[in-house]
Amino acid sequence: MTRLRIAVAMVVLLAGPVAAWGHHSFAIFDHTQTVTLKGTVLSFQWTNPHGYIELDVDEGPKGVEHYTVELTSINMLRRAGWKSSDVSAGDEVTAVIAPLLNGEHGGLLLELKVPDGRTLTPPVPAIGTFKRTP
Amino acid sequence: MSAPNRSTIASMIAMVATALVAAAVQAQTPPDLTGSWERHRAPAGDPTNPPPETPPPLKGELLVEWQARAKLVREADARGEPIATGYTHCLPDGVPSMMSGPFPFEILQNGRQINITQEAYNQTRRIYLGREQVTLDDIEAGFYGHSVGEWHGDTLVVDTIGIKDYIRFRDTPHSRDMRIKERLRLVAPDILWDEITIEDPAMLEKPWTVTFAYKRMPGYDLIEYVCEDNREYADEDGVGRLRVTKPE
Repeated sequence: MTRLRIAVAMVVLLAGPVAAWGHHSFAIFDHTQTVTLKGTVLSFQWTNPHGYIELDVDEGPKGVEHYTVELTSINMLRRAGWKSSDVSAGDEVTAVIAPLLNGEHGGLLLELKVPDGRTLTPPVPAIGTFKRTP
Repeated sequence: MSAPNRSTIASMIAMVATALVAAAVQAQTPPDLTGSWERHRAPAGDPTNPPPETPPPLKGELLVEWQARAKLVREADARGEPIATGYTHCLPDGVPSMMSGPFPFEILQNGRQINITQEAYNQTRRIYLGREQVTLDDIEAGFYGHSVGEWHGDTLVVDTIGIKDYIRFRDTPHSRDMRIKERLRLVAPDILWDEITIEDPAMLEKPWTVTFAYKRMPGYDLIEYVCEDNREYADEDGVGRLRVTKPE
């Protein structure tokens, strides 16, 4: 464990288990680039505090890779017009995500094209801070 | 018995007048706050915007520690390794953080009680009207404490005690004796202010006031919110992570 991590762990210990600042951080996601995934939906989890889309992506020679895509709170999605029926298992979708910084196969959904042709945008707070890249 | 002199009569009239004015204010029908509300942020300079928020006036070393923690949070975010929070563990905000949004809340009001339900985490606080505040010995500390309120004319004045020590507003530590005083009033027909003053002489140099503004959400019904399955978790170092899994 690095000295920095020890310091962070100490802060968590001292501050107790409750929110330090009353906000949800999106810092685990890369704000400098996006990744576009074309794949098949395994499930659309309509839950709080986040919704999730499980996605299988055919990456050619690498085979089928699995991605976990996080969405905002479903209450925020609902207020923005989303429905739990917008996405179903088996759907072929195109997802633009801010990938996880640690390199694992996951990310934050910024845009989703669904089979009926609609492009859905989740109400990610400060979505403009995520730089879109080809 | 001698007749009262002029100054005594004047004093009596003034006392009666003061009592009548006070009674008239008390008798004024309070505004109906029932309905859904969300944070209101008007363009700069709009008079319905409350004063800007200030940092907590913590005493000496407490302020230094608060600033150091804030710096660590910023640095952890910048590294992409955010410090896990209560939200990571599905814990609600409590009072007064639940009044800061960003989710809507609902006010349900009658003559005896006012309930405020924050949509996020289904948090409900209850404000009992026309009751004396209890003492800390009468209650156990909790997320929402014990609130009593009364109408002062068009202003709902609320007093809250009994907040758990780790339920912190803006990460501000507090003592067992912290008292939260709120003044809720309409500053426009559909704009509500909650002026929150935290009194905690053991920790704060002076009372700390933060004011939030809200606007009505006509026709909006609160949506249920259960923290059901958070894939985000705290690792052994207290860093927030996302659990990446393939469903079976």
